[in-house]
Amino acid sequence: MSSELGVGRPTKRRPGPVGGGLPVADSRPVLADGAVLGVRCTACRYPAAQSGIPWCPVCYADVEPARFPTTGAVWSSTVVAIPVGHRRPPFGLAYVDIDDGPRVLAHLDRPGVLTIGTRVRVTGTDQGDLVVEPVVEEES
Amino acid sequence: MTVQPMVWGVGTSAYGSFPDRRVETLAWDAVSEAVRDADISPGEIDAIIVGSVFGPPGVATRVQRGLGIPGVPMWTVENACASGTSAYHEAVEAVRLGRFGCVLVLGVDQMSTLFSGAIIPEATDPEGAASLPLPGLYALQAQRYLGEFDVAPEQLAAVAVKNKRNGLDNPRAQLRAVAPTVEEVLSSRMIAEPLTFLQCCPTSDGAGALIVGGQRGRAGDVVVEASAMVSGALWDHRSTDVWGFASVTRAAEKAFAQAGRTPADIDLLEVHDAFTIGEILTLEALGFAPRGKGAELAPSGHTARDGAQPVNPSGGLLSRGHPLGATGTAQLAEVVWQLRGLAGPRQVPHHEVGLVETMGGGAAGMDGNACVVTILSVPS
Repeated sequence: MSSELGVGRPTKRRPGPVGGGLPVADSRPVLADGAVLGVRCTACRYPAAQSGIPWCPVCYADVEPARFPTTGAVWSSTVVAIPVGHRRPPFGLAYVDIDDGPRVLAHLDRPGVLTIGTRVRVTGTDQGDLVVEPVVEEES
Repeated sequence: MTVQPMVWGVGTSAYGSFPDRRVETLAWDAVSEAVRDADISPGEIDAIIVGSVFGPPGVATRVQRGLGIPGVPMWTVENACASGTSAYHEAVEAVRLGRFGCVLVLGVDQMSTLFSGAIIPEATDPEGAASLPLPGLYALQAQRYLGEFDVAPEQLAAVAVKNKRNGLDNPRAQLRAVAPTVEEVLSSRMIAEPLTFLQCCPTSDGAGALIVGGQRGRAGDVVVEASAMVSGALWDHRSTDVWGFASVTRAAEKAFAQAGRTPADIDLLEVHDAFTIGEILTLEALGFAPRGKGAELAPSGHTARDGAQPVNPSGGLLSRGHPLGATGTAQLAEVVWQLRGLAGPRQVPHHEVGLVETMGGGAAGMDGNACVVTILSVPS
C-alpha cells in the first residue's frame, strides 16, 4: 500500500489507470493539429473545451465543434508539492485563458508561480495533460 | 401556512482518525446525543436525511440498524463538502412546508479508511484527471488572491493560528495539541504554493446530527431564520472571481434576504475553512469584508473568539477536522451550542444570531458543487 495519492489504493473515487484503477473516459481538453479542440455556441459564441454537451450552457443554442488557439494568458498558477497519481512533486499547474477561448487547466513546462497575465503557449501534452510554457511577446 | 423550523437538538461524534471504528458507531454517537438533546423518543422521528460523500454506499441503512426507526422516508444527499448542510437544508424546508414534523439530519464520513493523505482526485473530472488535488484547487484561488490584492502570506497563516488556537478548547477536535505561530504555519512543509501543511485541514472521520422540527416552546430550541442552498454555476473565462466565490454570494444573498438581516447583525460564524484561503474568501463573499480586505479580519482580531464577529470558534475544519459529509452538521452543532451559551471555554461573548456557511467544490468548470448558508438565532 502506498501513501501516494491515487496509487495502489482502490477507493470509492475512480483513480483512473495512472492511479492504479480501471480506465475511465478522458474528459480533458484535447490538443490536435496545433489547436485546442472544443465547442463554440452558434449564437453567443460561448467557448468550451469539452465535447458532447447538449447545448450552449449559457444561452441554450446549438454548439458546433471549434478549434481554439494555443496561446493564452495565465489566470492563476501554483506549484504542487505532493505526489498526485503519476505526478511527482514539484509540478506546476495553471488556469490559462485561451485567446478568444475557454479557461483550461494546464501543466507548466517547469514548476513555478507565474505572474497573473503571463502569456503562455500550449506546446504539447504530457500523458494527455495540456502543457504550457511562457512566451515572450514579439514587438510588432 | 408554513411552520417556523427550529433546531431541537444537536450531537456529534469525536473527530479524528478512527480507522478501527465501524462507521455506524460514529453516526450512533452523534444521533444518540442529538435525540437526548432534543428530549424526544426516537420513535417521534418521521424522516431521516443523510449527508455523506464517501459513504460507504448504504451507510444510512446500516446506521438505521441500531436506531429502531425503520420504514420512515430516508435519503442520502451528496454535495461535496456541503453534503451535511444540504441534508439539513432539506430537513428545514420539509418542516417549513409541513411535509414532516420531526426530521433527523445525519452527516457522516469515514475518510481514514479511504485516503492516507489528501483526497485522491477523481479521474472522470477533467481537472482531476490532470492531477489537480484539492489543495491545488484552493492554492490556485490563493495565488490569484495574493496576486490581485496587496495580501501577504502571513495574513493567510493568521487564519490557521486563530482557528487552531480555538481548537485547543474543543475536546472533540482532531488537532488540539498545539497552537502554532504564524512563523510555524509558514515554515511547515509546502503542500501547494502558497498553502503549507498547517493551512490544510486533516483527513478525518466523524459524524454530526440534528433534530429539526417546528415550534414547541421548549427552552434551548434554536430558530432557523433562513436557510439557502444553491448549486454551482459555470466558472469560466468570463469569471473575474475565483471559483467558489460566486456560489457563496448567491447563497448568502438569499439567506440574508430571507432572514431580513445584514452581515452586521451576525454575532458569530462557522464557515468552511478547509484551507486558510477558504475562510478569507468566504467572509468576503458573505459580505463581511470588501474584496481584498477579508485577509485583514484574522490579523486584526475581528474574527477572534473575543472579537467583534468570531469566526470558527470551534477551531473550524483546520482543527476539528473535515469528514466531508459530517462537516456541515458539526458547524451547525457548534453554532447551536454557542447560541445557547453552552460552549464552555469556547463561548463567544455575544451569541444571539449565528451563521453557518459550507461550500463544496471540486467539479471542474463550476463555481462550486453547492453552497448552503443558514442563519440561526435565539428565540426572542
